[in-house]
Amino acid sequence: MFGFEAIIAHDGLGISVIGISIVFVSLILLSFAVSRIHKLIELWDKKYTSYQRVKKTQQKDQKTPSVSDLAIPQDVQRASRQFKLLIEWIGEPFPLPKLLDLSGKCGLSRPHSTVNELLKCELIIPDENGYYVWNKQLEEKRSST
Amino acid sequence: MSTDIQTLKSLDLFAGLNFGELEQIAPLMHPMKVTEGEVLTRKGEIASTFFIILSGNFMLSFNEERSFTLHNKGNIIGLSTVVSPFRYTATAVALTDGLVLFMQGQEFLRLVQSNSALGDKIMRKINEIVLERMPYMTGTWEKRRY
Repeated sequence: MFGFEAIIAHDGLGISVIGISIVFVSLILLSFAVSRIHKLIELWDKKYTSYQRVKKTQQKDQKTPSVSDLAIPQDVQRASRQFKLLIEWIGEPFPLPKLLDLSGKCGLSRPHSTVNELLKCELIIPDENGYYVWNKQLEEKRSST
Repeated sequence: MSTDIQTLKSLDLFAGLNFGELEQIAPLMHPMKVTEGEVLTRKGEIASTFFIILSGNFMLSFNEERSFTLHNKGNIIGLSTVVSPFRYTATAVALTDGLVLFMQGQEFLRLVQSNSALGDKIMRKINEIVLERMPYMTGTWEKRRY
């Protein structure tokens, strides 16, 4: 038996159809999977960036102590008395550059970093109009404790 | 010495940029140490350099001595390098020793003008910052906490 007769006798046509179907179905599934890869990558990216953001926020929270927790160093306390006098002389609210300028002229040591410390301790606070005021409430609170 | 990509990526201004865009910026940004009392920009002068704070504390003073202070990594000094009329609107002074990244204003301008996608992303953020700082420049105050 040869040719078509042999193929038909051994169910060759059926096997061919099944083979072709398997190959095409596999190709369809594969192409579908490939077309969805970008979605998977997007999901993975989002998961990674949100994880990084949460991690960063946690680190920031751990690193930054709240201002109220900060103790005023002794040298800043000493300097604060001198700065308070200068602020009284300028008048409130006062411009920060003027305070720096005046403290330099008066020969106070390291006026820039001292002003920064006073800002950090919130002894000098912004008035939301671009000027600053001496935080009397905090000063009273600290002197009473 | 140019800046590494990871440092740039950690800065708010460049947070939305992809690797290729960061690669374009990295060779243009250079680190610079600043010392307490050092003046980075002077109000009214031609805006030649753009700065991003990596560490340290700074004060920006505007017209009529209105001012605010910058204390965080990623804060920006010298926005006028990309905003008309390209003259500094504030004097920036270092309150403490610190480290900044700087870029020449011309290079920064060329960068945002030559790559529209990159320029759009950066200019959006810069516009937000300009709006926040506007009251200090104009003296017209809305209820806004810096």
